Amino acid sequence: MTAGGRRVTVYAKSTAVSGTPVRPGKTYPLSSLDHLMGRHTLHLVFYYRPGPTLDRDGLKESLSEVLSHYPAATGRLSRGEDGGWIVKCNDAGVRLLDARANVTLEEWLGSASAEEEMELAYWEPMGDDPSIWSPYYIQITEFEDKAFAIGLSCTHMHADPTCATLLVRAWADSHRRACIAYAPFLHPPAFLPRPDPRPSHPLLSLKSSSAPFASNSKMSSATFRFSDLAVKSLLADLQPDASPFSALAALFWSRIARAAGVPPGPGELTLVVDVRKRMHAPLPHGFYGNALHFSRARADLAAGVAHVVDELGRHVAGLPEDEVWAAAEWAHERRHRGEEAFQMYGPELTCFALDHLMAYGAAFEKEGEGGRPAHVSYRVGGAEGEGLVVVLPAAEEGAARTVMVTLPEEVAKTICRDDAILRYGPTVMFAGRV
Amino acid sequence: MPAAPLPEFSSSVKLKYVKLGYQYLVNNFLTFLLVPFMAVLAVELVRLGPDEIITLWRSLHLDLVEILCMAFLIVFVSTVYFMSRPRPVYLVDYACFKPPNTCRVPFATFMEHTRLIYSDPKSVQFQTRILERSGLGEETCLPPANHYIPPNPTMEASRAEAQFVIFSAIDDLIKKTGVKPKDIDILVVNCSLFSPTPSLSAMIVNKYKLRSNIRSFNLSGMGCSAGLLSIDLARDLLQVHSNSNALVISTEIITPNFYSGNQRAMLLPNCLFRMGAAAILLSNRPREARRAKYRLVHVVRTHKGADDRAYRCIYEEEDAEGYSGISLSKDLMAIAGEALKSNITTIGPLVLPVSEQLLFFFTLVGRKLINMKWKPYIPDFKLAFEHFCIHAGGRAVIDELQKNLQLSPEHVEASRMTLHRFGNTSSSSLWYELSYIESKGRMRRGDRVWQIGFGSGFKCNSAVWKCIRTIKTPVDGPWADCIHRYPVHIPEVVKL
Repeated sequence: MTAGGRRVTVYAKSTAVSGTPVRPGKTYPLSSLDHLMGRHTLHLVFYYRPGPTLDRDGLKESLSEVLSHYPAATGRLSRGEDGGWIVKCNDAGVRLLDARANVTLEEWLGSASAEEEMELAYWEPMGDDPSIWSPYYIQITEFEDKAFAIGLSCTHMHADPTCATLLVRAWADSHRRACIAYAPFLHPPAFLPRPDPRPSHPLLSLKSSSAPFASNSKMSSATFRFSDLAVKSLLADLQPDASPFSALAALFWSRIARAAGVPPGPGELTLVVDVRKRMHAPLPHGFYGNALHFSRARADLAAGVAHVVDELGRHVAGLPEDEVWAAAEWAHERRHRGEEAFQMYGPELTCFALDHLMAYGAAFEKEGEGGRPAHVSYRVGGAEGEGLVVVLPAAEEGAARTVMVTLPEEVAKTICRDDAILRYGPTVMFAGRV
Repeated sequence: MPAAPLPEFSSSVKLKYVKLGYQYLVNNFLTFLLVPFMAVLAVELVRLGPDEIITLWRSLHLDLVEILCMAFLIVFVSTVYFMSRPRPVYLVDYACFKPPNTCRVPFATFMEHTRLIYSDPKSVQFQTRILERSGLGEETCLPPANHYIPPNPTMEASRAEAQFVIFSAIDDLIKKTGVKPKDIDILVVNCSLFSPTPSLSAMIVNKYKLRSNIRSFNLSGMGCSAGLLSIDLARDLLQVHSNSNALVISTEIITPNFYSGNQRAMLLPNCLFRMGAAAILLSNRPREARRAKYRLVHVVRTHKGADDRAYRCIYEEEDAEGYSGISLSKDLMAIAGEALKSNITTIGPLVLPVSEQLLFFFTLVGRKLINMKWKPYIPDFKLAFEHFCIHAGGRAVIDELQKNLQLSPEHVEASRMTLHRFGNTSSSSLWYELSYIESKGRMRRGDRVWQIGFGSGFKCNSAVWKCIRTIKTPVDGPWADCIHRYPVHIPEVVKL
């Protein structure tokens, strides 16, 4: 924590509109998977070093251009006839916040806490009237050395991390005057039930029927940046042909379980994976909306981390498509019964596989490496409980990864000092209470 | 076809031909007189034969001195005639400011901001109703300062808007006409609501490094009709200074005038006024006549300020809570109608063909002497003008004028479409409308254009232009990227 006041000041709020008007009368219904995520919010921060074309007005111009491709993002939520949410594409725009930070980017990356990082992604929850509430909040923060941080907060009902990342990436493409690599694909019928639906989702059924988690401990967060060599050496230690995700997830799971005082033995971990490319008829990357699947992986923590790596790898690779459809059908049925959303991330320990994200390709400057983000952070709001581990890509290419953990305060403190993790020399950033 | 309507149809056709015949007869009366006279003269000359003509000439006994005196007299009279004619004023070209897409204000965004800024739900409802019936489209633009929640009208932001709109328009004009800044002799700027020190004209002189002996004028506070006042001032100056170029800038700076209070009469400008500017190059140089687009024929100014009601009809004041705004009174349309009638009465004799003037005169005499109940004859201005540019002050203004002047929808199309695409840009709206007509390829050589502006005071000003060069499409202007989409049907009420 820093002494002597805030380092980030938000000084103006406006609305960014698309460059071309939306055809009147367009609506976009949220899918059942979207409705499931009603309790959560998403907060992304992209950090960029100073560059010749990086200035506030230019960024606002390219944002206007890119919003012409996202009529669903500039619309407003309203209740449909069946009581579910639909987006009225009325061209109202997204909220835009202007902010400045009185430090340089390097100082910030070195010293900012988790709570401070949240100041870079302004968020206002839905008030009484959804028709004047913007589901997206974009904050452009300028650092002292003309570096920029682009913060995007949105309701998880509209977008999952892949969707939100590709919006920023499309913005970067537009700023560079390149064509948009992963154009948004609005396809509401993507997760409609099959002709003979077989709805079933034991994990979510359990979650929805259990009592809401009463949190009495504060959550803390920390970011671990593992270099390419670190991950390679981790893999060499554990299981050379495993994926970096399995290795890191297994490592953190075993260390967190230990720190939380869970007795060694068979355990379960909730895994969240993006299913866009796991379907028989794969969805394009730019599919707008949620395409996440929650499942339970089992492994014996007492049998060693290598064993856990194997189990996780097998679980993720072997995810049957049937399960995804069953889950979608279960969600569909639940929505039609008119039941409210419940907490999806947690309260049990959850691990999110996001290392497929193309976040570091979102380069606002034309040439060379200078345009790529210096760092990208992801947080999920509403994930109280035993915690959330998110495995993300890193600025360095190859096997390098970033792991962001949100855990109960005591557990987080232990993890930040844990030898088994620190052995691989990660850079620890943005630690502290959220 | 059934028998019953046929007589009406045939009688209206007959009436039309009668009217046409009357117009041709009266308007070309002199020609009709002259033709038989010339014919008789020609016949006489032929009959006389060349020898007789020479004998007639010799009998006049004109000697050298008398011939020289007559020649001298003719030359003298023609010189006096040519010298006392007013210098022709040419409109070389003009450029309108095209707002960027980032400043666009969709209806949904406007309403959302209104609900987030105003505490009184009645104000919100009122503005919604105005916007629904306004005739504006989804592409009108407000300056960046008005996009903030709440808007941030600082002086710096106002200057920034002024620089943005005015310099864009002038840069476009320089590109189109190739005029060098050092060649501009007269500069007239009109902007009603923003008047900093140094003035906007000084700002332009500073930016473009205009000459130190430039004659610059800055008109402020003169309302939405000030564009034509500036043209009138430039014209008068061009009569005094020969071989000169005049740059006229018409604009309205929206930033400082956001009204944050709750008085309904003052909320209208928030809903209707939008960003815009026009830069016009006038000249009296003879060589510009070859490439100029229009020639200024008449400017007629009518000021109804002597009447208290007209004077207070558009009034800037502070409301009970101390917020300043422009209050529009309820009898605005009635006053506008009266001002228009005054203006028409003055401009009618200058532009109407003799046929219409006679009809109007006889009806007037008849009403005074014979029977008061005769309907006053409204002269058909469609005979005097091919194109009409009516200030896009609001849908009501255009409707009222269309009714009063009996214009067809095609004649007011330019005004309605400008209101839809650009909103009420105040004094520069007439130039956007002219650009619309040119972009549609309707402007031909010899066409006459009537620009009518209304503004606070209450003033009604008219300018009449004659097109001296057919304007070919595509026209590079604010309509370049959207003209193919126009005209659009504008519904009476857009449900928000």
